[in-house]
Amino acid sequence: MQAYASPADVSFGSDAVIIRGTGPEPRHTPVYAAPARYVDITVQDSDSFVYHYEAKRSYVALRNRTHLKEFLTQLAGNLFIDMTALSHHIWAPILRTALMLGRTTRVLYIEPEGYVRSPTGVEGEIFDLSERINGVAAIPGFASLSDEFEDRICFVPMLGFEGKRTAHVWEQVQPQGNKIYPIIGLPGFRLEFPFYTVQSNQRILHETQAWKNVRYAAANNPFSVYDTLCEIQEANTGSLLKIAPIGTKPHALGAFLYPLKSRRTVEFVYDFPIRKSDRTIGVGKVFVYRVSEFMA
Amino acid sequence: MNENDAQERINTLFGSYRAEWLDHKVFELFSEPNYFPELVTNRPCVLLGGRGTGKTTVLRCLSYDGQFALKRNDPERFADQKFFGIFYRVDTNRVTAFKGTERNDDQWAKLFGHYLNLVLGGLFVRFLAWHHQHYPGYATFSSQALNLICTAFQLGGVTNLSELVHAFRLGLVEYEAQINNIAENGPSRLTIQGAPIDVLIDCARELTQFADRQFYFLIDEYENFLDYQQRAVNTLIKHVGTRYTIKIGVKQLGWRVRHCLNGTEQLISPADYNRISLAQRLEDGVFDEFALHVCQARLDQIDSTLQVRVNTLFPGINDEDEADALIGAGVPFSPQSLALIGTLSSATRQKFDGLRKLEQVFLVTWPDNAAPRQFDEAVELLYSNAPRYRERYENYKHSLLFSLRRGKAGIRKYYAGWDVYTKLAAGNIRFILELVERAFVAHIQKGEKWGLPLSLKTQTQTAIAVGRKNLDELEGLDVDGAKLTKLVLGLGRIFQVMAADPIAHSPEVNQFQISGGAPTEIETAKAEKLLGSGVNHVALLRLVGSKPSDPGDTKDSDYTVHPIFSAFFEFSYRRKRKMTLTCEQLVLLVDQPKVAINEILQKSGRDETDEPLPEQMVLFESFYDSSG
Repeated sequence: MQAYASPADVSFGSDAVIIRGTGPEPRHTPVYAAPARYVDITVQDSDSFVYHYEAKRSYVALRNRTHLKEFLTQLAGNLFIDMTALSHHIWAPILRTALMLGRTTRVLYIEPEGYVRSPTGVEGEIFDLSERINGVAAIPGFASLSDEFEDRICFVPMLGFEGKRTAHVWEQVQPQGNKIYPIIGLPGFRLEFPFYTVQSNQRILHETQAWKNVRYAAANNPFSVYDTLCEIQEANTGSLLKIAPIGTKPHALGAFLYPLKSRRTVEFVYDFPIRKSDRTIGVGKVFVYRVSEFMA
Repeated sequence: MNENDAQERINTLFGSYRAEWLDHKVFELFSEPNYFPELVTNRPCVLLGGRGTGKTTVLRCLSYDGQFALKRNDPERFADQKFFGIFYRVDTNRVTAFKGTERNDDQWAKLFGHYLNLVLGGLFVRFLAWHHQHYPGYATFSSQALNLICTAFQLGGVTNLSELVHAFRLGLVEYEAQINNIAENGPSRLTIQGAPIDVLIDCARELTQFADRQFYFLIDEYENFLDYQQRAVNTLIKHVGTRYTIKIGVKQLGWRVRHCLNGTEQLISPADYNRISLAQRLEDGVFDEFALHVCQARLDQIDSTLQVRVNTLFPGINDEDEADALIGAGVPFSPQSLALIGTLSSATRQKFDGLRKLEQVFLVTWPDNAAPRQFDEAVELLYSNAPRYRERYENYKHSLLFSLRRGKAGIRKYYAGWDVYTKLAAGNIRFILELVERAFVAHIQKGEKWGLPLSLKTQTQTAIAVGRKNLDELEGLDVDGAKLTKLVLGLGRIFQVMAADPIAHSPEVNQFQISGGAPTEIETAKAEKLLGSGVNHVALLRLVGSKPSDPGDTKDSDYTVHPIFSAFFEFSYRRKRKMTLTCEQLVLLVDQPKVAINEILQKSGRDETDEPLPEQMVLFESFYDSSG
């Protein structure tokens, strides 16, 4: 994992190709030290995406492995997946396919400088991040139908600033209190962020007594999350981890890497939020995660 | 038992008020509701009720492991069990895998039908394996039967029951991989919905141990099925035959689709199924008794030495005593009221002074008594218990309680007594358990002695806290949870302002019906969605008897904000009078709460700005001040 103070400090090799989303936030259009080739994903639908590459517009179905393979095969060079403006259900299948193809893959994430505060000041809603949620649904390509472990579930919500999302996902999973292992980003992107995370989720942490099982992993470190998930699984042999990647994007990356590297079965529970367009402020640090090396 | 032990046990036995949390304790603590015998028949049943009404508990207790636990896990007692229930909770995360633009609904229905076969078949063979484990003396499937079953479900060959269990698991895993690549290749081997289950159950019935037994599939959280999936399962229910039957648990308005896959057939009660509406079955008297039974069983487990009825730990207070408690020493009459009282003759004044404080407040605030002569006459009439006047007082006295400490800090209305608590819960077993648990814990944390009756103050503070907690919870219950929260905050504020200013208005308005206005189609749809979501998640109550609970008739029913919120907002928990709202106003309450609240209150001759927020609502000040 490499950290850079700003995009201007990052330079990619000449064979780099960056897959990225488009969006209105300042960090969605970073200016790097040297130009790179971009694949711009301009439409992110629930089961497909549309991309622009070399003046060509194409479509990829997320539940079509051949489509995903062909999409990546045409992109020669070192792959960089910038997940900053991509939804989990878009970057995760791309990443999985890239790793399955054995492509040298890096994942990029650009922190914001800050988040826009919620005007309502209601408990559990410190920042104004999501317009609404579409509700819990299977992530394309990651659907889990097996019910073998139905009575042996460990629920692992990765907590963010939106307590209502945690509550919604928890309501859908209905786990037993002593089998909830929340993961909080500590250290956070900023010193005070872990406190906001606890404050936003305090009702559910208290009510389910899940505060007793809280685990911590650096908010910007997916590999730390991976280790945490391994520890939770080891402490709960024979249980199925139901992971809700609703915290930071690097935490979500760690969550999606976990079944790929550990070869363990997990189930993802995701609520598909619709992000507010003006939810963040500024451009913060840039992280480059050497995923291929981690998987090796 | 010391206080710490008591608190821990209270948390365990009352605090785990969801069947999902109780795990196996759910069976130990099960109290049979009055409708239970209707479920134990070979007919499809539909249990309709909001969250917290006990659907999951009942269905789980109908399951084979529930029945086994209820028979003290004793194979001998369970040997003559007449029915075996297979419990299946519909998981949104699973069933939503069967939607997307890659297929149309008809194609998805076929794919889903195969999935449902594998799920129900898998659960059924797990039951058979469980049964074999407990009754190893009985024969299991012959190799011919195993072949037949595997062929019917398109599974690989097996040689025994345990391999069959594994084959179902493998079948699901393989199917999962195919669904995850559905845009590229469709699964090649599908089964017709329900057909292999018939084969499996026919084979089971050929075994001596199941020859004359009934099988139930118990499907919980039916609302989580997508619409076309509800049509598919409706079809199963319609044509279920005699091999097995289906019992479903569904939120009140969560059964969105009543017709079958062919589009022409509908499920009709009682021809096709027995409809059990928990709101109707657990009306006041029945619920009171059931709640008492459920709570008593838990209290006895907490402390068997206590020997006390749970309802006696929650003493209430009548309206006159409550007025005395709220007012304290001396009635703070306004100068105008004091002037009016000063006009009384000394004899009438003596009678006035002999009345209860609440009676005095009634007399001086009743609009017809503004003139001295009428006031004098009114005092005489009430003092002499003139029926007409006494009746008027009885009708209004409760509403006056909400105005006695208007604008003052501290408790402004008591919510205490077992009877009041059951009314706050309003047929919801989860709410009564939550109220009792939190009240017991608060009692102990205040240093009060365990086993002694709880103070009015503790009960009231608990009722406020539970209302607040459930208000906070609304946001996470539904994708439209934030809207629901805003709706309840808006309606709650309206009823609160109305309650605080009862003079010259209809007393105890806390219900509404949707009528009038000229809503657009979009506004009507938005309002109906809000009402439906509110009823499903128990933010609102649709009043029993106002209309049948078919989807689509949400607009024509009477509603009330659930009484569990009444203590938090300070309005009456009693079902009394209603007002009329338009679809536009309901939608405006969510989109522009401040505007809507003012508009609705002004129509009733009140002004929101006259009424400061009660202490417990101050945290929501910015919400009420915002224009959006």
